[in-house]
Amino acid sequence: MRTLRTRLGFDQRELQSRRAFFDIQDEDLARLAELRELALKHMDDINEEFYTHLLSHPETKRFFPDDATIRRVKRLQREYFLGLFEGRCDLEYVENRLRVGAAHEQIGMSPRWYIGAYRKYLSQLLDRFTNELPVGEGRIGYDSVLKLIMFDMSLAIDAYIAANLETLGRHQAAIRELSTPVIKVQDRILLLPLIGAIDSQRAQQVMETVLLRVIEEKAKVMIIDIAGVPVVDTKVADHLMKTTAAMRLVGAQTILTGISAQVARTIIQLGVDISAMPTLARLQDGIELALSMLGQQITKAST
Amino acid sequence: MVETVQSWEVPIAREDDIVLVRRKARALAQERGFDAFAAAALTTAASELARNVWVHAGGGKAIIEELTDGYRTGIRMTFVDEGPGITDVERVLQGGFSTARSLGLGVSGTRRLVEEFDLQTAPGRGTRVVIVKWTRF
Amino acid sequence: MNAHGPIPILRVGSNLLTTVHIDLHDTVAEAFQQDVLLAIERTGATGLVIDITGLEEVDTYVARILADTGRMAKLMGAQTVVVGMRPEVAATLIRMGYMMEGVETALDVDEGLTLLIERQAKKRRST
Repeated sequence: MRTLRTRLGFDQRELQSRRAFFDIQDEDLARLAELRELALKHMDDINEEFYTHLLSHPETKRFFPDDATIRRVKRLQREYFLGLFEGRCDLEYVENRLRVGAAHEQIGMSPRWYIGAYRKYLSQLLDRFTNELPVGEGRIGYDSVLKLIMFDMSLAIDAYIAANLETLGRHQAAIRELSTPVIKVQDRILLLPLIGAIDSQRAQQVMETVLLRVIEEKAKVMIIDIAGVPVVDTKVADHLMKTTAAMRLVGAQTILTGISAQVARTIIQLGVDISAMPTLARLQDGIELALSMLGQQITKAST
Repeated sequence: MVETVQSWEVPIAREDDIVLVRRKARALAQERGFDAFAAAALTTAASELARNVWVHAGGGKAIIEELTDGYRTGIRMTFVDEGPGITDVERVLQGGFSTARSLGLGVSGTRRLVEEFDLQTAPGRGTRVVIVKWTRF
Repeated sequence: MNAHGPIPILRVGSNLLTTVHIDLHDTVAEAFQQDVLLAIERTGATGLVIDITGLEEVDTYVARILADTGRMAKLMGAQTVVVGMRPEVAATLIRMGYMMEGVETALDVDEGLTLLIERQAKKRRST
């Protein structure tokens, strides 16, 4: 399993440039390490206050359904909080923060809520720093922690978007599968009922899916039924011809069925030549043709 | 924002080098999770363009780069030669030249296999072709 | 069967079977073509099955070598069937606009040989 960091292409160079942009100097990190004492002292009250805030809003409360969850996230939150005061901001730190973003995507908490939560943190820190540190020191310390928290936020959002895109990719793969439902009619005969519009992206998916299925099933004939395709124009006809040509290269024949009167008229009027494949009006005739190509025929089952 | 993660340069000085270019492209595509169709498209494009460099310029080089836009992996391949260049670019891009030596369909077909395609050439000034292919969602 | 190149050619009845498992480039491609044609000449084979299951990619150069070999074999009276093309190879060639017209194809070696044998039987019946 590759780390989130490498999946996002986050390397030493990216770390340098981002640290530079967020103006995180070594002095900032050293200062935060010095504030660790103070952080430890307030860790628990800050944490309690933080969760009181989150649990008092229905939008965020729903992410913490039971006490066990709350105990677990409180523990994680303490780790996160102390991480700010360790005086480091290296690649391991980055990996750690990216996980936070990915975890939020997983539970479905979108950035607007945790950006709001970060705000709460900052307020609390500002409050403790102003109350317990000399004026100048408090301000400088707050500036350092602000830099690191903003840096964390940028990482969490990166990870959130990446995880979101991956989820989207999985959904699209599922939709792809649903939009090209290849059915095995009989040994060595496959059927693809095409339903809905066909653009070039879908046409490519169709071609890839049928090629894979033909090889998997060692099919000889692929019936493509286009009764459910609303518009058959030159482009769609071209895609169908290409699929037929690809089928031929792997040694399978294509039969096109579901040609309505309207489609027949369009194809001829557009001057599209689809004579390379047998075409029929009815799917049932297509299946019979496919069987005869394999030297078989439909016989009534004797009961 | 697209960044280069790492890059390799493969000289094309002999016909066998076409195979090396293609193998490098295939290995990288497979390591980075390109599916079989995308990997075949990329390596075939690499093969066509490397052959182009060899046949029409007698040699040159290929630069292979691994890219990231923060979310997906891309592979960029740049083919550079200092050969005679192409006079009729439009015709080549439309696949007009289908001579026995494969220019034409090779170049125009390659364009349909990748997401980005750029060809720069001038008579006597060599040719530079850049292609990019990204992992799919 | 004697071959100059690294690609072996087998005799199966009145047909020849060759499995391309390495890159068809340069001298290999020429030797392959030469070996196939000489084998047809020597055996009087009436069919040729070229199995390309092992090829992960076929560019237009290799596609042309295959198509040309088929055409040359035909001049000598042997029908060629290319078998075992991988799905991604077929999709790539088609996307490039290379339909390999004039080349007969079949799913695998068995299908290819069956196709040739059926055709030869039909021919014998009609003459």
